[in-house]
Order: sequence, then structure tokens, then C-alpha cells
Amino acid sequence: MPRDYSARLVFNECIAEDIVELCFELTEAEPWGSAPNPARGPSPLDPFYKKIKRVQGACSLPGFGAEPQGPNPGQFAHLAAPGVFLRRPVSIAGFRQDENIVRFIVGIAGEGTRNLAAKRPGETIKILLPLGNPFPSIPSGRNIWLVSGGLGVAPLLYLAKTLSGTARELRAFMGFSDERSVFGVEEMRELSEMTLDVGGFITDKVSGALASARPDAVFSCGPLPMMGALKKICAARGVPLYVSLEERMGCGVGACLVCACAARGAAGYKRVCRDGPVFDAEEVVIS
Amino acid sequence: MKNMSVELCGVKLKSPLIAASGTFGFGREYDEFYNISAWGAISVKGLTDEPRVGNPPPRIAETASGILNSVGLQNPGVDAFIRDELPRLVATGVTVIANVAGSTVESYTEAARKLSDSPVAMIELNISCPNVRQGGAQFGASPEEAARVTSAVRGVCSRPLMVKLSPNVTDITAIARAVQDAGADAVSLINTVAGMAIDARARRPALANITGGLSGPAIKPVALRMVWQTAKCLRIPVAGMGGVMTGTDAAEFMIAGATAVMAGTANITDVMAGPRILRELEEFLDENGIEDVNELTGSLILN
Ligand SMILES: Cc1cc2nc3c(=O)[nH]c(=O)nc-3n(C[C@H](O)[C@H](O)[C@H](O)COP(=O)(O)OP(=O)(O)OC[C@H]3O[C@@H](n4cnc5c(N)ncnc54)[C@H](O)[C@@H]3O)c2cc1C
Ligand SMILES: Cc1cc2nc3c(=O)[nH]c(=O)nc-3n(C[C@H](O)[C@H](O)[C@H](O)COP(=O)(O)O)c2cc1C
Ligand code: FES
Repeated sequence: MPRDYSARLVFNECIAEDIVELCFELTEAEPWGSAPNPARGPSPLDPFYKKIKRVQGACSLPGFGAEPQGPNPGQFAHLAAPGVFLRRPVSIAGFRQDENIVRFIVGIAGEGTRNLAAKRPGETIKILLPLGNPFPSIPSGRNIWLVSGGLGVAPLLYLAKTLSGTARELRAFMGFSDERSVFGVEEMRELSEMTLDVGGFITDKVSGALASARPDAVFSCGPLPMMGALKKICAARGVPLYVSLEERMGCGVGACLVCACAARGAAGYKRVCRDGPVFDAEEVVIS
Repeated sequence: MKNMSVELCGVKLKSPLIAASGTFGFGREYDEFYNISAWGAISVKGLTDEPRVGNPPPRIAETASGILNSVGLQNPGVDAFIRDELPRLVATGVTVIANVAGSTVESYTEAARKLSDSPVAMIELNISCPNVRQGGAQFGASPEEAARVTSAVRGVCSRPLMVKLSPNVTDITAIARAVQDAGADAVSLINTVAGMAIDARARRPALANITGGLSGPAIKPVALRMVWQTAKCLRIPVAGMGGVMTGTDAAEFMIAGATAVMAGTANITDVMAGPRILRELEEFLDENGIEDVNELTGSLILN
């Protein structure tokens, strides 16, 4: 169950031009949130009800893994950035259950993300998480490919961590527009067989690879044109594709209906925050 | 023991705080965070007789102290609401207000008739959605049209009827008086203020719908003024809203003349807004030695 946490920044480092890695320790859930709902009773699903012990010092970066109960790769958080009205949706890029530390990789895009990046360790903000649907869980022993463009690699780093032990073959295709925005390469290389592309089309690398191999599923996050091209490539080869989409958000929990993305056929709109952000590429219009 | 309960056109509410339509869905999502029957009532997402898909995205733009939205009445239709959502909602124990919109008088009466036979406590007639051409705003813009749709719905509706007014008019009190005379049991105000945002670099509107409705703290002064003016000249009660983010904001609306207060955008920025605002309102009463929340209504001191 998602909860609104007080979260203390424990790590803030610039990892590429205008890209920061932020780690927050989730300290306490909103007290009202832990009041049991008499109509429904206490929820055994909620791993976060308990008050959480504080940890000392900054976290060390390695060791972000998938945790059985924790937020799952593909889910996102809604961060209350200082100085702006709405919260900012950011993918969960790692989680450490033992210390309740959640990791984000944030590109500075405007005022909200700039103010987030300016936070100093020890400062606290509110973070609502985990939200949305994760990438589907895959039985072990499968061949999985990950395809990212730019910052889209953030949730895939977390996904790679969870899949690296169980997938038969894990390949990652990472595309970046230029040298200055490259990050996460070493981390991904340790977890997978990695192909890097800077300044070109990562989808060309994917279609090249598909000529001689066929994964059981492809998971992707990145700019819409990239995912649109990937959808065509995967459809042509009959490979299941799951994409993580972005849309402007309000509530982040599924109630306000502002985060609409067009569903395939006559099915109207889906909510990116609640029905996604991860979708079967066949369910949605990518344009 | 402090009294937090109020009565809004014959319906007893355990507190004066109501979740504003369109920001609370059908209660499903917030029920995962807290017991939604903490609210005095919830007004559900605007319902139309037939399902509607809504406007294309982007549907939201952030503004200084508020948001513009152009959802456009996306909803599954009254029948699906009554069948799939209402039983669960009623089971939570919360008082349900059905917000109804339409494009013709017949579409309003058809929806209201169906809801009259359902366990909703009240109907809120939305004649003020700025985001769809066929969203009822044409009824909210003139006293004659507002009266016409109100009396038609009154004729088929056995539930208390509240009419939701638009701020996008020259004289809101004229519309309020017209719907009172046409048989409304209460009015709620204000709906969103028509507005627009532009991405200067792209030279494009920020919303796909071009214009949208402004809500949040940005509209609070406009809303307070309209609630005060309207409450002064009506016999029927007023539910006030527009930028209520805290318990003190809620108290201000009551002091201006509101019997109940709605909070909308607050739910969007703070998932725990309902119980928080309620707690803050209770604290406000304690701090000011007020025993009964009804004492606030219309208590503005003018000299
Ligand atoms: C599910 C999801 C996951 C995301 N994960 C990440 C991530 O891991 N790392 C990262 O750097 N960014 C991520 N983003 C994008 C991030 O939310 C935006 O970059 C951020 O909101 C921009 O805020 P700003 O104030 O800096 O920019 P501004 O442009 O000033 O923001 C103005 C408004 O537009 C919204 N907005 C602007 N760009 C986007 C966008 N691309 N998507 C959604 N809303 C936007 C803002 O939230 C705000 O409401 C994600 C978005 C979504 C929807
Ligand atoms: C996303 C969104 C959707 C809304 N949908 C409806 C609706 O369906 N029917 C309605 O009567 N008002 C709707 N409203 C208006 C609100 O109920 C309320 O009148 C307005 O937002 C002002 O209150 P606030 O500042 O507390 O949000 C909507 C507002 C928002 C922000
Ligand atoms: S952001 Fe409110 S429904 Fe998705």
C-alpha cells in the first residue's frame, strides 16, 4: 500500500550534466495513514505501517536491490519538491529494505526538479510511494532485454538488479543523446550484457540484435519516439513489449483523471498513474 | 463535547467538510489511505447519463498557487456508477452526493431520475463545467437557463437538490436567486475559474483543450467573495469551495456564510488532505473556544 512518508535526504550527487542521484530515508508515514480503516481492517500488505528506525550517515550506493515486499521496479513516487504546487512523479531507481532507503535519478528539467536537486542531506520532504503498476514479474530462466533512452534507464537499473539473478540472459540497450548525459553504464554492465549508444538510435541496435536472437520480453523506458519505433520493431518480430509512460500528473493515485493516455481502439483513456505507468505496448497508443 | 455535525438541506453530515467533485473519483483510491467516511460527505466525479471519454491530454497545467484542468467530464455514465461504484461507496458509511452534468435538459433529468432511485443522499447539479462545450456551463451562465434546468430536475428528483454555480458570470447572486426560486435546496460554489496557460517557447497552449478551469489557493479570494455575496441573499444553504487547503481556510468559508465546505485540489496535492483539514478545523474550534461548528456560519464581523 502506498503511504505518504516523511523522507530525509541522505545522499545527493551529480552523476551527469544536470542529472542527480538522490537517496532518501523513509522515516515516518503520515500518522493518519496508519489509523486502521474499520471498514477494511488493518492491511497485511502494507510493509510500511511500522515506524522506521533512523539510520546514521549517508548510504553507500551499491546494494540497491529488489526487495520482496518493497516497491517494485517500474513503480514511481510522488515527491513534494520545495517551491512548487504539484508533486513531481519520479521513478523508483532502487530500494534498500534494510535501511528503508529509496533511490531516485532526477534530471533537472525545470523549477521543481531544480529545487529537489538543491536539497542538502539531512533535509526532509514528503514522498508518496510506491505508486502505479510495476513491470510484470517474469518467471526465472527467461531471456529479457531492457531498452532505455536517456533518463529512462532509471527504473531499468532497478529492474536489472531484480532480474540479474533470475533471468537466463539479460541484455540492456542504453541510448543517450550525448556524452554529457551518460550515466549508469558501469552499474548496468555489472548486471547485464550491455550495449551502449551515444548520439545515434538505440533502436537500430535493438533491431540488429533481433535479427539473430529473440527475447521472451522487452522492457523499455525512454522518449516516446524511441518507444514508438521499438513497438514497431517488436511487433514485427512478435516479441512482447512493456513500456513505461509519462504524462502530466495531479493526484498520482488515480482519482483526478488528468494523467490520460490514449488506449488502443475505442477504449478511451487510461490513467498513467494507476493503470500504468507500465503498459503492455499493445494496450496503448504511443505517439 | 464539541459538535462538528451540520445539516445541509435536510441531510445530516457528521462534519461540514465535503470532498469536491472530480478530485476524489468515486472514493476508491483514497479509501486505501484512510477511512473516507471521515468526510461529512463526498461528491463523486461528475456523472452524465451516457459515458464520456473526456478530453485529450495534457489535461493539467501547474500555475502559481493552483492548477488548470481540462479533464472534460470523463465518466462511466450514471448506470455504471450505480451498478459498479455506488454499493461499495455506500458500504464505507460515507454520505454520497452525486454530481450530475449534461448537455440538454433531458440528459440532466434522465440522470437525476435514475439517481433518485439509488442510495445517494443528494444530487449536485453541475451547471458550471467550463471544460466541455456540452458540459452544462451554458445553463450556468444565465438565470433563465439555470432556472429552466433546475426546475426540470426538481420535477423528477426526490432527493435534496444542490446546484453548483459557476464563477464565470457577471453576477453570481442573480443565478443563485434564480435556482433558489426554481426549487433548489442548496447551492454550491464555486466551480473552477475559466483560464489558460501558454508554453511560450513552443508558442502552444499548455492544455490540449486550450482553455481549462483554475482551482486551488489561486481562486480562494474570488470564491470567498462569491460565497459571502451569495449567502447574504439566499434562504437556502450554501456549500462553499475554492482553494480550501487547511482547517482555517474551511473556517473562513463558514464565516463568510457557508453551511458546509468542500475541498478539491487539496486532495490532489496532499493525499491525506481530508482527515488533516478536519483535524485542523477541530483544532481551530478548540483554540477559539467554539463548541459548535455551526456557530461559524455567517459569523463575519463587519464593524
Ligand atoms: C511515471 C513517471 C516517472 C518519471 N520518472 C522520472 C525519473 O526517474 N527521473 C526524472 O528525471 N524524471 C522522471 N519523470 C519526469 C519528471 O516527472 C519531470 O521531469 C518533472 O516533473 C519536471 O518537473 P519540473 O518542475 O522540473 O519541470 P517543469 O517543466 O517546470 O514542470 C511543470 C509541470 O509539468 C510537469 N512535467 C514536466 N515534465 C514532465 C514529464 N516529463 N512527465 C510528467 N510531468 C512532467 C511537472 O510535474 C509539473 O507539474 C517521470 C515522470 C513520470 C510521469
Ligand atoms: C481535476 C478536477 C476535476 C474536476 N471535476 C469536476 C466535476 O466533474 N464536476 C464538478 O462539479 N466540479 C469539478 N471540479 C471542480 C471542483 O469540484 C471545485 O469546484 C474546484 O476545483 C474549486 O475547488 P478547489 O479549489 O478546492 O479545487 C474539478 C476540479 C478539478 C481540479
Ligand atoms: S494523476 Fe490523478 S488520476 Fe492520475
